[in-house]
Amino acid sequence: MITMTHYLVLSAGLFCIGLYVILAKQNAVQILIGIELMLNAAILNLVAFSRFDKLNNSGQTFALFAIVLAAASTAVALAIILNVYRRYRTIDPGKVNQLKD
Amino acid sequence: MNTPLPNIDLQTVYYALAAVVLPFTAFLVNLFISGKNSKISGWVSTGAILVSAVFAVMVFGRVWNSHAIHAQQLWFTIGQTPVYAGVWLNNLSVLMLLLVTVIALPVHVYSTAYIKTHENNRYFTYLSLFCFSMLALVVVDSLVLLYAFWELVGFSSYLLIGFWFTRDSAVQANKKAFIMNRIGDIGLLTAIIILFSQYHTFDLIQLFGDNGLVVKSIIKNDRWIGPVSQIAATWQYVACIGIFLAVAAKSAQFPLHTWLPDAMEGPTSVSALIHAATMVAAGVFLLGRVYPMFNIQELDALAVIGCFTAFMAATIALTQNDLKRILAYSTISQLGYMIMAMGINAYASSLFHLVTHAFFKCLLFLCSGVIIHEMQHIKEENQLDIDPQNILYMGGLRKKLPITFIACVIGCLALVGLPLTSGYLSKDGILIQSFEWAEGRSTWGYLIPVGIMLTSCLTAFYVARLIFKVFFGKFRLKEILPDVHLHISDGGWQYTLPLIFLSLCSLFPLFSLNPFLYEHAWLYKGFVPSNYLARESIYHTIIPVIINLASVFVAYWAYAVYIQQRKLVFPQTSFLFRLSYNQWYIDAFYRKVIANAAVQLGQVLFWLDRNVVDGLVHLLTKVTGWLSALTAWTDRYIVDGTLHLIAAIASAIGNFFRSFQGGKVQYYLFSMLAVILALFIIKLLI
Repeated sequence: MITMTHYLVLSAGLFCIGLYVILAKQNAVQILIGIELMLNAAILNLVAFSRFDKLNNSGQTFALFAIVLAAASTAVALAIILNVYRRYRTIDPGKVNQLKD
Repeated sequence: MNTPLPNIDLQTVYYALAAVVLPFTAFLVNLFISGKNSKISGWVSTGAILVSAVFAVMVFGRVWNSHAIHAQQLWFTIGQTPVYAGVWLNNLSVLMLLLVTVIALPVHVYSTAYIKTHENNRYFTYLSLFCFSMLALVVVDSLVLLYAFWELVGFSSYLLIGFWFTRDSAVQANKKAFIMNRIGDIGLLTAIIILFSQYHTFDLIQLFGDNGLVVKSIIKNDRWIGPVSQIAATWQYVACIGIFLAVAAKSAQFPLHTWLPDAMEGPTSVSALIHAATMVAAGVFLLGRVYPMFNIQELDALAVIGCFTAFMAATIALTQNDLKRILAYSTISQLGYMIMAMGINAYASSLFHLVTHAFFKCLLFLCSGVIIHEMQHIKEENQLDIDPQNILYMGGLRKKLPITFIACVIGCLALVGLPLTSGYLSKDGILIQSFEWAEGRSTWGYLIPVGIMLTSCLTAFYVARLIFKVFFGKFRLKEILPDVHLHISDGGWQYTLPLIFLSLCSLFPLFSLNPFLYEHAWLYKGFVPSNYLARESIYHTIIPVIINLASVFVAYWAYAVYIQQRKLVFPQTSFLFRLSYNQWYIDAFYRKVIANAAVQLGQVLFWLDRNVVDGLVHLLTKVTGWLSALTAWTDRYIVDGTLHLIAAIASAIGNFFRSFQGGKVQYYLFSMLAVILALFIIKLLI
């Protein structure tokens, strides 16, 4: 039987994968994917915890909102990446380092 | 002055002041208006001294053998001591006033002709200053003023001796005269300081007048006890030695006499003035002013020194060949007579001799001036290389220069002291009194009168030598160079008139109506107490006879030697001849011992200065250098080092933290993760 723990473990695993992707990849789009993974791990938790609120399903509602917002923010992030590419001819975040001192 | 002077006395004081100030006015006029035009300045100075002489005669007529006049004004006050400036006209000062002006007048007239060849100069300016200094010296009443004018006499004589300053020898001579006189000035200054600390006054009358402070002082138990205070008796001796030094320097006594023969480098007219009335008379005058200072033993010392100087100078004069040098040594010799006369208590005789000597010595110098002038003329006309003052080139000049010859013979007779001249009166007075003085003494006391007698004979010899070499025989220059041209004469009235005037003054009528008895001279009546005037002892008759016979004999001997060409008695190589010719080696001794010592001392001091004083300074510099190097090192490496260390630490910390800000977004994220993980781990552990 699939218990709550399995969800949480899966979620934690997703989060960790996302975190690794963010930290290790040298492509802004892949980092964006990492962010989505971490976001989805959080959303998975929300959905899993909504089991305790069967009346209003507030967890699932919150998840829906989060998915929408994530889509929006991803759109913005892609636009930024496009601009970055135009300006720097690269999307490797390691090379976009003009903010350093 | 506490009590106002009677009107007539006040007038006399004004006359005396006018006599003193007129030459000074001439000096100022010549200095600022006439400039270097010697013709104008000559007549200005001569006019001034003429009027001055007239005033001096009037003052003399009023004061001589009448009462002394003293007028003074408060000059300044130091602490509690008021210092007065004023004039003191007594017999001594009016006599000197008259003497100086009357001698200076013919010298001025003579100079107007004598100096004319050297156009554009300050001769008369200096001459007026010289006369003013001397005139002021004789009338002032305070030691401070006396000292000031004493110095001024020395200074103006320095200017005149070095008048031909382009000649090296003249420069050397005036330096020598000045330095020698400085030694005397130190003595006088010392004496003035001691007198002031003993009596608290500079006033000559209070000090040396009748019943003055000095007379009232006694020496008892090694203390010098005055009415005001008392000090150790040594100071009295020191003061007397100081005064003696001053007198010796100005009046050219042994051991400070060597400047006078060298002072011949000045113009002859200046020599006449220096030797007669101004410079050398100042010493004897000072002695006359401070006479009560000296006690019996000190007077004896004066007599010995005077006698020795007279003898020594006479022996030197025997062999000199320079006309003026012979006269210079005869002056020293005669000054020795005066000092000795002071020493044997023949106060009046000393001053009498000063006066008569002034006339005949001035006369002799002016004569020698004429001779030298004519020799110079011959030298220039024939373009010869001779010394115009050397008597060995002269001879037979009596036919060429008749007036000069007669004047010179009168002067020489007076110098020897033959009857009918003034020199006879004054010199015999001194000789007779010296014998009477020696009577009360031990046998040694007779050395002085005998020495002075001997000196008289020597005087007769060198004077005769001078006359015979210059005026008699053949003109030796003509013998050496037969084609020499001679166009010489006595010169104009400026030459002959002073000579005639001074010749008349060198004869007896001016001083005594009786030409054979010195006791009748009017001058003695002015100075009381004049001792030894009574003709009680045999000396009064026998001495003049002996001395005159001896003089005539010696003069004849000189005639035999020089004119008849008999054999010389002294070979010219003997020790005595060399001693005399080299002036007793005194100059050489001074040069070797004193001048050398001074130079060596100077060198030692120079070495000390170079090595010790400068060395210390250099050491200090080095030490300071080292110290500053050390400080610089400390500053650089310790003070600055600390600061640099702090800065380096701050920079290292900053760099460490800056390294996190690498501009890599993922790196930031990783840092955040690490921090959060660390926090969690810490939390777990705690």
